[in-house]
Amino acid sequence: MKEEDVLTAKMIESGELNRWKELLRLRLTECGWRDQVRLLCRDAIKQGNLEEMTVDQLNNEVTPKARQLVPDAVKIELLTKIKTFLQENTLQESQ
Amino acid sequence: MQTKPNERSASVFAQLRFADCSSLFTLPHYRRGVERNTQLRIVYTKPYSVGVAARQPLLDSEMANDGCVHLKEYKSVKGFRTYRLIHAYFVSCTSAEARRRKADSCICSICKKRGPRLHICLHCIYFGCYSGHIQEHAHRKQHLLALDISHGRILCFACDDYVYDSDYENQACEIKEISNRNLGLPHQYKSWEPSLIEQELLLEHPRRKRITHDSTIGLRGLINLGNTCFMNCIVQALTHTPLLRDYFLSDRHVCQFSDRPDHCLVCEVARLFQEFYSGSQEALTLNRLLHLIWTHARHLAGYEQQDAHEFFIATLDVLHRHCTGANANGGDSNSHQCNCIIDQIFTGGLQSDVVCTSCSGVSTTIDPFWDISLDLGTTPATGDTSKVPKSLLDCLERFTRPEHLGSSAKIKCSSCQSYQESTKQLTMKKLPVVASFHLKRFEHSSRFHKKISSFISFPEHLDMTPFMSHRRNNNNNNSDLAASSVADEPYINDNRYSLFAVINHVGTLEAGHYTAYIRQHRDNWFKCDDHIITKANIKDVLNSEGYLLFYHKQFLEYE
Ligand SMILES: [Zn+2]
Ligand SMILES: [Zn+2]
Ligand SMILES: [Zn+2]
Ligand SMILES: [Zn+2]
Ligand SMILES: [Zn+2]
Ligand SMILES: [Zn+2]
Repeated sequence: MKEEDVLTAKMIESGELNRWKELLRLRLTECGWRDQVRLLCRDAIKQGNLEEMTVDQLNNEVTPKARQLVPDAVKIELLTKIKTFLQENTLQESQ
Repeated sequence: MQTKPNERSASVFAQLRFADCSSLFTLPHYRRGVERNTQLRIVYTKPYSVGVAARQPLLDSEMANDGCVHLKEYKSVKGFRTYRLIHAYFVSCTSAEARRRKADSCICSICKKRGPRLHICLHCIYFGCYSGHIQEHAHRKQHLLALDISHGRILCFACDDYVYDSDYENQACEIKEISNRNLGLPHQYKSWEPSLIEQELLLEHPRRKRITHDSTIGLRGLINLGNTCFMNCIVQALTHTPLLRDYFLSDRHVCQFSDRPDHCLVCEVARLFQEFYSGSQEALTLNRLLHLIWTHARHLAGYEQQDAHEFFIATLDVLHRHCTGANANGGDSNSHQCNCIIDQIFTGGLQSDVVCTSCSGVSTTIDPFWDISLDLGTTPATGDTSKVPKSLLDCLERFTRPEHLGSSAKIKCSSCQSYQESTKQLTMKKLPVVASFHLKRFEHSSRFHKKISSFISFPEHLDMTPFMSHRRNNNNNNSDLAASSVADEPYINDNRYSLFAVINHVGTLEAGHYTAYIRQHRDNWFKCDDHIITKANIKDVLNSEGYLLFYHKQFLEYE
């Protein structure tokens, strides 16, 4: 297995990936991002052709805007957690 | 040498972004073909503290008529067993074993990658990615339904879209809750959905109150009934406590005195909240409230000018007793285990560690508190005037500092069974939602009564992390203990607070007057001086003397 796969497997197995997701979900709710994206989705649905609008289309439409709305502080917090995990796990291997 | 791990992490980041971040965008419930713009508004004000106030929901109730016939058929044939198993193993892992299985097997059967958007066939547990491999499997085998492993959403290939079924959604929710518990995570956020009764009520009352940013709703002066400013300012602070307001405005109080609701202080406060937020601007008279509190906290009755702090604590106590239905004056009002709204908001846990100087044995107790009283004078032991606190942070630092109890206060140590000198340290074990600080400006002794008017600065935003038990406690030299206290630290840890009310005492001990600053909406400040309410700004607030300071936790966990 490639190194990346090993690390990804570790993230899943240790539950870290899940914790990050929950943290992110919480932060995005707190900062109002979730509500903003809800509104984006509603607008997209109102404007789009209803008969043909699928979740995928909605996803394609909204995702780029939604990504931009994620506050930097949230990204940084998450990246720090991921970095710490990677550092700890690459250190362990070299020992 | 050093660049290698960095390169490696960079590529993992890239993969993460590809595989998982896209899946983090939770889509709202949406069914094709029907526009769901039934926008209901029950929001009475901008939510302060995130999530707890009713948000602005889309009506997500089940759509009775259509939906995916393929999923309906699947449900009638297969029931929930397969779905639950797949969900508990590969979507929200409910055990370490499940996480191991997920790590091992959640890989596309064709391209051997973990994404993008890995799906699992609900008919034969086949893994395929969304770049074409799950689609290929579905068409080849005529297996119509697959589950997106990142969200647990069901994809129907015949409808060519994600489909919803409330029974499966409920199952998913249940499993997710188990998974969170397994990982030591807080409860998940559930958006508010109106019940059938609430839906009816909303339809019957189509007028929605919208609160604009400059609205003065919630601001009402209070008539002074003759030296009752101590009560007026506490009522102003309580009616502007975000979580308490949310509780009362959402009509959550179930009265324990059904035969005599006029006897219940909680009912009276509920009535007051309705008055405060009715939109009227006339000043209110609190005679009923005062009468009720005097009836139930007799030690307060009759005083000419009372202490606002004493009144605050007595009010919380009566409210707590009436919430739980305990009628007895005084008696058992243990707030240790209590789950009433007062204790949910105001109760924190104070840890006291007493360390024996002879054997280093630690004896730890945890006591509930509703407020923290902070000394402003010199430390009695040293009398050193340079140590006089100048800010709230100084006070808190001093409050949580280990204190040597001295030779006159020997305590029997439970470890070495002898009377020894010891050190005592207080720290925050559990933080309350509202942190109330009492600056001890009044000194009463047998010889004199005096007021300390020195300036104590206090911040608009306060982080309580440094005063938490696991941070502050440096008693345990034992490395095992230190390690375990780190493990105690909750994973999602945010102890930031913001100021929302300040009560000031102006004048002298003999001829004094109380006023309050309160925060309305997110950052509008007002000064409440009995029946007179004037606009203020945060500078006025932070420059005021400060007697009682009220801080609200910024981020709340769901319970
Ligand atoms: Zn299949
Ligand atoms: Zn694939
Ligand atoms: Zn279908
Ligand atoms: Zn009641
Ligand atoms: Zn209680
Ligand atoms: Zn001892």
